[in-house]
Amino acid sequence: MAEAQSTINIPQILAVAVVGFLAIRWWLSKPSGPTQEPRSQRPRTVDVVKVEQVAAMFPQLDRRTIAWDLQRNGQNVQATTERVLAGRSLDNPPPSFQPPNLASAGTQAPAVGVSGAASQQGKVGGQAQQDLIARYNLQAKVSGKGKEAVPSEEAQRQRSAWSSDKAARADGLRRRREEMVLAARRKMEEKEGKGSAA
Amino acid sequence: MNSVASKRLFQEYKHLTTDPPEGITAGPVTEDDLFVWEAMIQGPEGTPYEGGVFPAELKFPRDYPLMPPTMKFLCDIWHPNVYPNGNVCISILHAPGDDPNHYEQASERWSPIQSVEKILISVMSMIAEPNDESPANVDAARMWRERRTEFERRVKADVRRSLGL
Repeated sequence: MAEAQSTINIPQILAVAVVGFLAIRWWLSKPSGPTQEPRSQRPRTVDVVKVEQVAAMFPQLDRRTIAWDLQRNGQNVQATTERVLAGRSLDNPPPSFQPPNLASAGTQAPAVGVSGAASQQGKVGGQAQQDLIARYNLQAKVSGKGKEAVPSEEAQRQRSAWSSDKAARADGLRRRREEMVLAARRKMEEKEGKGSAA
Repeated sequence: MNSVASKRLFQEYKHLTTDPPEGITAGPVTEDDLFVWEAMIQGPEGTPYEGGVFPAELKFPRDYPLMPPTMKFLCDIWHPNVYPNGNVCISILHAPGDDPNHYEQASERWSPIQSVEKILISVMSMIAEPNDESPANVDAARMWRERRTEFERRVKADVRRSLGL
Protein backbone atom coordinates (compact mmCIF):
# COMPACT_ATOMS: atom_id res chain seq x y z
CA MET A 1 0.00 0.00 0.00
CA ALA A 2 2.76 2.33 0.98
CA GLU A 3 4.58 1.46 -2.22
CA ALA A 4 1.50 2.11 -4.35
CA GLN A 5 0.97 5.42 -2.64
CA SER A 6 4.44 6.63 -3.25
CA THR A 7 4.34 5.76 -6.97
CA ILE A 8 1.09 7.61 -7.38
CA ASN A 9 2.26 10.54 -5.35
CA ILE A 10 5.24 11.58 -7.43
CA PRO A 11 3.29 12.40 -10.59
CA GLN A 12 0.59 13.91 -8.42
CA ILE A 13 3.03 16.18 -6.68
CA LEU A 14 4.50 17.15 -10.01
CA ALA A 15 1.10 17.94 -11.43
CA VAL A 16 0.19 20.01 -8.42
CA ALA A 17 3.48 21.86 -8.68
CA VAL A 18 2.98 22.62 -12.36
CA VAL A 19 -0.61 23.72 -11.94
CA GLY A 20 0.32 25.76 -8.90
CA PHE A 21 3.18 27.41 -10.74
CA LEU A 22 0.97 28.30 -13.69
CA ALA A 23 -1.72 29.61 -11.38
CA ILE A 24 0.72 31.81 -9.52
CA ARG A 25 2.16 33.13 -12.75
CA TRP A 26 -1.23 33.89 -14.12
CA TRP A 27 -2.21 35.58 -10.93
CA LEU A 28 0.98 37.65 -10.81
CA SER A 29 0.86 38.71 -14.42
CA LYS A 30 -2.80 39.71 -14.29
CA PRO A 31 -2.43 42.91 -12.29
CA SER A 32 0.58 44.03 -14.32
CA GLY A 33 -1.43 43.88 -17.53
CA PRO A 34 -3.49 47.02 -16.99
CA THR A 35 -0.63 48.94 -15.37
CA GLN A 36 1.60 48.39 -18.36
CA GLU A 37 -0.26 50.83 -20.54
CA PRO A 38 0.10 53.90 -18.40
CA ARG A 39 3.71 52.93 -17.89
CA SER A 40 4.48 53.11 -21.58
CA GLN A 41 3.09 56.61 -21.68
CA ARG A 42 4.87 57.69 -18.61
CA PRO A 43 8.55 57.77 -19.64
CA ARG A 44 9.38 61.39 -20.03
CA THR A 45 13.00 60.52 -20.64
CA VAL A 46 13.60 60.49 -24.35
CA ASP A 47 16.11 58.68 -26.47
CA VAL A 48 18.62 61.48 -26.89
CA VAL A 49 20.55 59.59 -29.53
CA LYS A 50 17.51 59.42 -31.77
CA VAL A 51 16.65 63.04 -31.15
CA GLU A 52 20.19 64.00 -32.08
CA GLN A 53 19.96 61.91 -35.24
CA VAL A 54 16.95 63.85 -36.39
CA ALA A 55 18.41 67.14 -35.18
CA ALA A 56 21.54 66.51 -37.21
CA MET A 57 19.43 66.19 -40.34
CA PHE A 58 17.14 69.11 -39.60
CA PRO A 59 19.09 71.58 -37.51
CA GLN A 60 16.29 74.12 -37.74
CA LEU A 61 14.01 71.96 -35.61
CA ASP A 62 13.72 72.34 -31.90
CA ARG A 63 14.93 69.27 -30.05
CA ARG A 64 11.92 69.23 -27.81
CA THR A 65 9.63 69.15 -30.84
CA ILE A 66 11.61 66.27 -32.28
CA ALA A 67 11.46 64.41 -28.98
CA TRP A 68 7.72 64.91 -28.83
CA ASP A 69 7.17 63.54 -32.31
CA LEU A 70 9.44 60.58 -31.61
CA GLN A 71 7.64 59.89 -28.39
CA ARG A 72 4.31 59.78 -30.16
CA ASN A 73 5.34 57.57 -33.04
CA GLY A 74 7.15 55.06 -30.87
CA GLN A 75 10.71 56.40 -31.29
CA ASN A 76 10.62 55.91 -35.04
CA VAL A 77 13.33 58.12 -36.53
CA GLN A 78 12.33 57.13 -40.06
CA ALA A 79 8.73 58.26 -39.56
CA THR A 80 9.75 61.61 -38.11
CA THR A 81 12.24 62.17 -40.91
CA GLU A 82 9.68 61.37 -43.56
CA ARG A 83 7.16 63.59 -41.94
CA VAL A 84 9.54 66.56 -42.04
CA LEU A 85 10.65 65.77 -45.58
CA ALA A 86 7.04 65.59 -46.73
CA GLY A 87 6.67 69.17 -45.61
CA ARG A 88 4.30 68.43 -42.77
CA SER A 89 5.63 70.35 -39.85
CA LEU A 90 5.91 68.63 -36.52
CA ASP A 91 3.33 69.40 -33.86
CA ASN A 92 4.32 71.63 -31.04
CA PRO A 93 4.80 69.71 -27.83
CA PRO A 94 2.56 70.65 -24.91
CA PRO A 95 4.26 72.80 -22.28
CA SER A 96 4.08 69.89 -19.85
CA PHE A 97 6.42 67.87 -22.07
CA GLN A 98 9.81 68.60 -20.55
CA PRO A 99 12.02 65.56 -20.91
CA PRO A 100 14.61 65.85 -18.16
CA ASN A 101 17.49 64.31 -20.07
CA LEU A 102 16.96 66.50 -23.09
CA ALA A 103 17.68 69.71 -21.29
CA SER A 104 21.38 69.07 -20.98
CA ALA A 105 21.69 67.89 -24.55
CA GLY A 106 19.81 70.93 -25.74
CA THR A 107 22.08 73.47 -24.18
CA GLN A 108 25.30 72.10 -25.58
CA ALA A 109 23.83 71.17 -28.92
CA PRO A 110 24.85 73.37 -31.79
CA ALA A 111 22.58 76.29 -32.40
CA VAL A 112 22.67 75.39 -36.00
CA GLY A 113 19.87 77.27 -37.68
CA VAL A 114 21.45 79.07 -40.59
CA SER A 115 19.11 82.02 -40.55
CA GLY A 116 16.78 81.59 -37.60
CA ALA A 117 19.29 81.19 -34.83
CA ALA A 118 21.34 84.23 -35.79
CA SER A 119 20.26 86.28 -32.83
CA GLN A 120 20.97 83.44 -30.47
CA GLN A 121 24.42 83.01 -31.95
CA GLY A 122 25.17 86.68 -31.51
CA LYS A 123 24.55 86.34 -27.82
CA VAL A 124 26.97 83.46 -27.43
CA GLY A 125 29.52 85.25 -29.58
CA GLY A 126 29.37 88.20 -27.22
CA GLN A 127 30.97 86.37 -24.35
CA ALA A 128 33.74 85.09 -26.63
CA GLN A 129 34.92 88.59 -27.42
CA GLN A 130 37.37 88.58 -24.54
CA ASP A 131 40.95 88.16 -25.72
CA LEU A 132 43.23 85.38 -24.57
CA ILE A 133 45.34 87.62 -22.35
CA ALA A 134 42.27 88.57 -20.34
CA ARG A 135 40.89 85.08 -20.45
CA TYR A 136 43.92 83.50 -18.86
CA ASN A 137 44.77 86.47 -16.62
CA LEU A 138 48.07 87.10 -18.30
CA GLN A 139 47.99 90.90 -18.11
CA ALA A 140 50.80 90.95 -15.57
CA LYS A 141 52.98 88.72 -17.70
CA VAL A 142 52.67 90.77 -20.86
CA SER A 143 52.96 94.22 -19.33
CA GLY A 144 56.75 93.86 -19.52
CA LYS A 145 56.42 94.36 -23.30
CA GLY A 146 58.23 91.35 -24.59
CA LYS A 147 60.62 91.11 -21.66
CA GLU A 148 58.94 88.13 -20.05
CA ALA A 149 61.37 85.33 -19.53
CA VAL A 150 61.36 82.64 -22.15
CA PRO A 151 61.26 79.35 -20.28
CA SER A 152 64.23 77.10 -20.84
CA GLU A 153 63.80 73.80 -22.57
CA GLU A 154 64.47 72.10 -19.27
CA ALA A 155 61.52 73.86 -17.68
CA GLN A 156 59.30 73.00 -20.59
CA ARG A 157 60.23 69.38 -20.41
CA GLN A 158 59.40 69.32 -16.72
CA ARG A 159 55.97 70.69 -17.43
CA SER A 160 55.12 67.94 -19.81
CA ALA A 161 56.21 65.28 -17.34
CA TRP A 162 53.38 63.34 -15.76
CA SER A 163 53.18 64.05 -12.07
CA SER A 164 51.47 61.74 -9.63
CA ASP A 165 50.14 64.77 -7.80
CA LYS A 166 46.82 66.08 -9.00
CA ALA A 167 47.56 69.70 -8.17
CA ALA A 168 50.92 69.55 -9.90
CA ARG A 169 49.31 68.16 -13.01
CA ALA A 170 46.68 70.90 -13.05
CA ASP A 171 49.38 73.47 -12.53
CA GLY A 172 51.48 72.04 -15.34
CA LEU A 173 48.54 72.12 -17.70
CA ARG A 174 47.73 75.69 -16.79
CA ARG A 175 51.32 76.74 -17.37
CA ARG A 176 51.52 74.99 -20.71
CA ARG A 177 48.38 76.79 -21.76
CA GLU A 178 49.69 80.15 -20.62
CA GLU A 179 53.01 79.55 -22.29
CA MET A 180 51.25 78.75 -25.55
CA VAL A 181 49.43 82.09 -25.49
CA LEU A 182 52.50 84.03 -24.40
CA ALA A 183 54.69 82.39 -27.03
CA ALA A 184 52.16 83.20 -29.72
CA ARG A 185 52.06 86.79 -28.58
CA ARG A 186 55.85 87.06 -28.48
CA LYS A 187 56.06 85.67 -31.98
CA MET A 188 53.43 88.03 -33.27
CA GLU A 189 55.15 91.00 -31.65
CA GLU A 190 58.47 89.97 -33.14
CA LYS A 191 56.96 89.60 -36.57
CA GLU A 192 55.34 92.99 -36.35
CA GLY A 193 58.56 94.53 -35.07
CA LYS A 194 60.37 93.18 -38.11
CA GLY A 195 57.62 94.35 -40.37
CA SER A 196 57.77 97.91 -39.11
CA ALA A 197 61.58 97.99 -39.12
CA ALA A 198 61.81 96.90 -42.72
CA MET B 1 29.78 52.93 -17.15
CA ASN B 2 31.07 56.19 -15.79
CA SER B 3 34.21 54.58 -14.64
CA VAL B 4 34.95 53.28 -18.12
CA ALA B 5 34.59 56.76 -19.56
CA SER B 6 36.58 58.34 -16.74
CA LYS B 7 39.36 55.81 -16.99
CA ARG B 8 39.65 56.27 -20.69
CA LEU B 9 39.60 60.07 -20.41
CA PHE B 10 42.24 59.98 -17.72
CA GLN B 11 44.42 57.76 -19.87
CA GLU B 12 44.04 60.10 -22.82
CA TYR B 13 44.88 63.06 -20.61
CA LYS B 14 48.04 61.32 -19.47
CA HIS B 15 49.02 60.50 -23.00
CA LEU B 16 48.39 64.04 -24.21
CA THR B 17 50.45 65.43 -21.36
CA THR B 18 53.49 63.22 -21.78
CA ASP B 19 53.46 63.12 -25.55
CA PRO B 20 51.53 66.12 -26.85
CA PRO B 21 51.18 66.62 -30.58
CA GLU B 22 52.81 69.75 -31.96
CA GLY B 23 50.74 72.84 -31.32
CA ILE B 24 48.14 71.18 -29.11
CA THR B 25 47.52 71.38 -25.37
CA ALA B 26 44.54 69.66 -23.84
CA GLY B 27 43.27 68.48 -20.50
CA PRO B 28 40.29 68.55 -18.19
CA VAL B 29 39.32 71.94 -16.82
CA THR B 30 39.50 70.32 -13.41
CA GLU B 31 40.28 66.72 -12.62
CA ASP B 32 37.16 66.53 -10.49
CA ASP B 33 35.17 66.46 -13.69
CA LEU B 34 36.94 64.60 -16.44
CA PHE B 35 34.03 65.16 -18.81
CA VAL B 36 34.81 68.80 -19.57
CA TRP B 37 38.11 69.62 -21.22
CA GLU B 38 39.75 72.69 -22.49
CA ALA B 39 42.02 72.38 -25.47
CA MET B 40 44.22 74.87 -27.22
CA ILE B 41 45.07 74.58 -30.86
CA GLN B 42 47.73 76.57 -32.60
CA GLY B 43 46.82 78.10 -35.93
CA PRO B 44 48.49 75.99 -38.64
CA GLU B 45 51.48 77.57 -40.34
CA GLY B 46 51.09 78.87 -43.83
CA THR B 47 47.44 79.74 -43.26
CA PRO B 48 45.87 83.03 -42.19
CA TYR B 49 45.36 81.42 -38.79
CA GLU B 50 49.13 81.15 -38.30
CA GLY B 51 50.32 82.67 -35.06
CA GLY B 52 46.94 82.36 -33.39
CA VAL B 53 45.98 80.18 -30.47
CA PHE B 54 42.42 78.93 -30.36
CA PRO B 55 40.95 77.68 -27.09
CA ALA B 56 38.07 75.25 -27.29
CA GLU B 57 35.88 73.37 -24.89
CA LEU B 58 35.26 69.66 -25.27
CA LYS B 59 32.28 68.11 -23.54
CA PHE B 60 32.21 64.36 -23.28
CA PRO B 61 29.06 62.31 -22.99
CA ARG B 62 28.73 59.80 -20.13
CA ASP B 63 28.94 56.96 -22.64
CA TYR B 64 32.25 58.14 -24.09
CA PRO B 65 34.02 56.60 -26.04
CA LEU B 66 30.92 55.07 -27.61
CA MET B 67 29.67 58.53 -28.48
CA PRO B 68 31.83 61.48 -29.48
CA PRO B 69 32.31 64.69 -27.49
CA THR B 70 31.12 68.07 -28.69
CA MET B 71 33.65 70.76 -29.35
CA LYS B 72 33.17 74.48 -29.15
CA PHE B 73 35.68 77.24 -29.73
CA LEU B 74 35.80 79.73 -26.90
CA CYS B 75 37.08 82.54 -29.09
CA ASP B 76 36.03 84.21 -32.30
CA ILE B 77 37.11 82.09 -35.18
CA TRP B 78 35.94 83.01 -38.64
CA HIS B 79 35.90 79.72 -40.44
CA PRO B 80 33.50 77.98 -42.85
CA ASN B 81 33.22 74.90 -40.63
CA VAL B 82 32.75 76.61 -37.28
CA TYR B 83 29.31 77.89 -36.35
CA PRO B 84 29.18 81.53 -35.33
CA ASN B 85 28.62 80.36 -31.75
CA GLY B 86 31.87 78.40 -31.82
CA ASN B 87 30.57 74.86 -32.33
CA VAL B 88 32.79 72.81 -34.57
CA CYS B 89 31.27 70.89 -37.45
CA ILE B 90 33.56 68.05 -38.46
CA SER B 91 32.77 64.48 -39.40
CA ILE B 92 34.92 62.92 -36.66
CA LEU B 93 32.60 64.50 -34.08
CA HIS B 94 29.51 62.92 -35.61
CA ALA B 95 27.88 59.92 -33.97
CA PRO B 96 29.01 56.58 -35.34
CA GLY B 97 27.22 54.84 -38.15
CA ASP B 98 26.28 55.82 -41.63
CA ASP B 99 25.46 59.37 -42.47
CA PRO B 100 21.74 59.61 -43.19
CA ASN B 101 22.58 62.18 -45.84
CA HIS B 102 25.33 60.03 -47.38
CA TYR B 103 27.81 62.87 -47.34
CA GLU B 104 30.27 61.19 -45.05
CA GLN B 105 31.57 57.69 -44.88
CA ALA B 106 31.22 55.76 -41.67
CA SER B 107 35.01 55.61 -41.43
CA GLU B 108 35.22 59.40 -41.19
CA ARG B 109 32.79 59.58 -38.33
CA TRP B 110 33.34 58.98 -34.66
CA SER B 111 34.15 55.52 -33.43
CA PRO B 112 35.63 54.38 -30.14
CA ILE B 113 39.01 53.80 -31.77
CA GLN B 114 39.29 57.54 -32.33
CA SER B 115 40.62 59.74 -29.56
CA VAL B 116 40.80 63.29 -28.31
CA GLU B 117 44.20 63.57 -29.93
CA LYS B 118 42.80 62.54 -33.30
CA ILE B 119 39.92 64.99 -32.95
CA LEU B 120 42.27 67.85 -32.22
CA ILE B 121 44.58 66.93 -35.08
CA SER B 122 41.59 66.68 -37.41
CA VAL B 123 40.33 70.05 -36.27
CA MET B 124 43.76 71.52 -36.84
CA SER B 125 43.80 70.28 -40.40
CA MET B 126 40.22 71.43 -40.84
CA ILE B 127 41.35 74.92 -39.83
CA ALA B 128 44.03 74.77 -42.51
CA GLU B 129 41.76 73.34 -45.17
CA PRO B 130 38.14 74.40 -44.85
CA ASN B 131 35.57 72.12 -46.37
CA ASP B 132 32.97 74.31 -48.00
CA GLU B 133 30.69 71.46 -49.03
CA SER B 134 28.81 71.59 -45.76
CA PRO B 135 29.46 75.01 -44.30
CA ALA B 136 28.54 75.72 -40.71
CA ASN B 137 29.12 79.42 -41.13
CA VAL B 138 27.55 80.25 -44.47
CA ASP B 139 28.85 83.81 -44.57
CA ALA B 140 32.39 82.74 -43.82
CA ALA B 141 32.15 80.03 -46.45
CA ARG B 142 30.94 82.46 -49.07
CA MET B 143 33.68 84.92 -48.22
CA TRP B 144 36.27 82.15 -48.32
CA ARG B 145 35.09 81.09 -51.76
CA GLU B 146 34.51 84.44 -53.35
CA ARG B 147 36.66 87.02 -51.57
CA ARG B 148 39.70 85.17 -50.29
CA THR B 149 41.81 88.27 -49.60
CA GLU B 150 39.09 89.80 -47.45
CA PHE B 151 38.65 86.48 -45.68
CA GLU B 152 42.34 86.28 -44.84
CA ARG B 153 42.48 89.87 -43.71
CA ARG B 154 39.57 89.30 -41.36
CA VAL B 155 41.08 86.12 -39.90
CA LYS B 156 44.44 87.79 -39.35
CA ALA B 157 42.80 90.74 -37.61
CA ASP B 158 40.90 88.34 -35.34
CA VAL B 159 44.11 86.49 -34.48
CA ARG B 160 45.90 89.69 -33.64
CA ARG B 161 43.06 90.92 -31.49
CA SER B 162 42.81 87.60 -29.67
CA LEU B 163 46.41 88.02 -28.51
CA GLY B 164 45.58 91.38 -27.01
CA LEU B 165 47.65 93.34 -29.53
